[in-house]
Amino acid sequence: MNAYIEQMGLIAPELVLTALSLFVLTWDLLKKGRNSDHIGYATLVGLAVTGWLLLQQWGMLGDKGTQTAFGMVTIDRFGTFFKLFTVGSMAVVTLFVMLDKNERKHGIGEYYFLLIGASIGAFFMVSTNNLLLLMLGLELLSLASYSLAGFHKGSKRSAEAALKYIVFGGLSAGVMLYGISLLYGLTGTLDLGLMGHAPEGSGAVSLATQFDASPIPVAIAVVLVLAGFAYKVSVVPFHFWTPDVYEGAPTPVTTFLAVGSKAAGFAALLRFVGALFLTDGVDASIVAYGDRIGFLLAILAAITMTLGNLSALRQGSLKRMLAYSSIAHAGYVLMGAASMTSEGFAAAMFYLAAYYCMNLGAFGFLIYFEGVTGKDDIDSLKGMGWRHPVVAWSMVVFLVALTGLPPTVGFYGKLILFYAAIDAGLAWLVIIAAINSVISLFYYFRVAKSMFLTEPVPQVPMRQHGLAGILCVLAVVTVLAGLGAFKDPLRGWADEGPASLEIYATDAGSR
Amino acid sequence: MPLGAYIAVSAALFAIGIVTIITRRNVLYILMGTEMILNAANINFVAFNRFGSNGLDGRMFAIFTIILAAAEAAVALAIVLNFYYLFNSVKPSEADLLRE
Repeated sequence: MNAYIEQMGLIAPELVLTALSLFVLTWDLLKKGRNSDHIGYATLVGLAVTGWLLLQQWGMLGDKGTQTAFGMVTIDRFGTFFKLFTVGSMAVVTLFVMLDKNERKHGIGEYYFLLIGASIGAFFMVSTNNLLLLMLGLELLSLASYSLAGFHKGSKRSAEAALKYIVFGGLSAGVMLYGISLLYGLTGTLDLGLMGHAPEGSGAVSLATQFDASPIPVAIAVVLVLAGFAYKVSVVPFHFWTPDVYEGAPTPVTTFLAVGSKAAGFAALLRFVGALFLTDGVDASIVAYGDRIGFLLAILAAITMTLGNLSALRQGSLKRMLAYSSIAHAGYVLMGAASMTSEGFAAAMFYLAAYYCMNLGAFGFLIYFEGVTGKDDIDSLKGMGWRHPVVAWSMVVFLVALTGLPPTVGFYGKLILFYAAIDAGLAWLVIIAAINSVISLFYYFRVAKSMFLTEPVPQVPMRQHGLAGILCVLAVVTVLAGLGAFKDPLRGWADEGPASLEIYATDAGSR
Repeated sequence: MPLGAYIAVSAALFAIGIVTIITRRNVLYILMGTEMILNAANINFVAFNRFGSNGLDGRMFAIFTIILAAAEAAVALAIVLNFYYLFNSVKPSEADLLRE
């Protein structure tokens, strides 16, 4: 018991978030839904405290990281990187909720409560080597996301999105759970570290050993678990829910799903794949079957980015187009995982950081646009460039970054992803990704063309200065990061993450 | 009973769950299908724990899965109820507002 209390400091950020979620819910009850902006400010303060604690934690952690009692929670730089990512996206999403003109202000406390709950799930999901806690974190994130997708109770589209989300989500969670149960049966442990490399006398069998003895059950179990992750990050063939849910859910929620939830899914995927198959890991016997999983992921990445980009080409709705674009970007990030090297993992993490800037910006633009016109189709964008120049030019920056052109962070992120993939011998994948970037140019620039090259249609001029300011800041960050302003710290952070993803051979005798 | 018997039951339950989800159009049956998949995993956990490793990991996981299934069912039924009020149906195929 004392061990637990001593180690409470390690999960201080999670505790602060939990307290914040309860505080927000109670305050909303007491205020009976009035003064909704105050709750937003309280959320921002709580998130700032959490972020500060995480930065402290980053400073204190060495390369190795540390584990709490029974190896349940693993605190390392890899996890802290993604926690900072989650807090950062939550903060921007909170601002979006506060500034969104279409958001109903009644019951806003529950909205923040669910968002914070989803973040707590993401926090535990990214910082554990134990499959039980990973599953619980993932489900907490999912359950909060289902409710958020259906938050507009009177809206048919919101209800439909939530229903489709939970049907697909329940299926994939079940499939993943079944895969975990098979992995448990094969290896005799739930700890990813022990699964990857089981020392003598730990009572567990490493997955590599099992693979030599009985390849088919191991392959089935691994594929079932990967299916669960593929659903969470919307990789083909588990992407069907993405366009519908992204379109039907309230736009700030869509933003969170596309950025925060997806990054958490990738973090868990990278940790799972890294512990079991990383080819520059300690165990030489891993290499052979690690390469096969890498090849499987590479094929999935190629199909995902191609299908996402081709489908995005023929969308009339900007929101739906961004949904398909986020599928395509999942394919790019998966390239990093498919290379099965620490270098590739670092590239995937850097690309996710770039994705954070450009996708938050693009969705922020969508919220602004919906606030002004009440529509989300690309044709209604006509004249935005002349009526709202600041926002429109920011959007152009995000579009350039999403395409992957200099001088933005999107270009730099793609560059290191491509390098990592070539080093891992996946040159064919890089060629497909490059072709895909060219395809994506068409639909991203259709938006820019619609904004600038067409005559403005008369509309009520309405400005949202707060939102425009956020977009401006994000655009400046996107360009500066591309020009190299934050290149060194960001790369340093992303590089140190996988380095800390070392395999924890916990003392199995202690449990 | 040998371990194989347990695995056979759980594999059958898993298959029935998947088939239910794919073939049924009523969302309540789909939710029942997911429950079957979760329980298939539960049988696996408890059986593997009984025959294989020391410790209580598998049994603990089974208990947590039961709780998870309950939480998921609660959220799912709330969403289905809201869907039913708006569409007067419990068939996802009848909702077609969100499409290309």
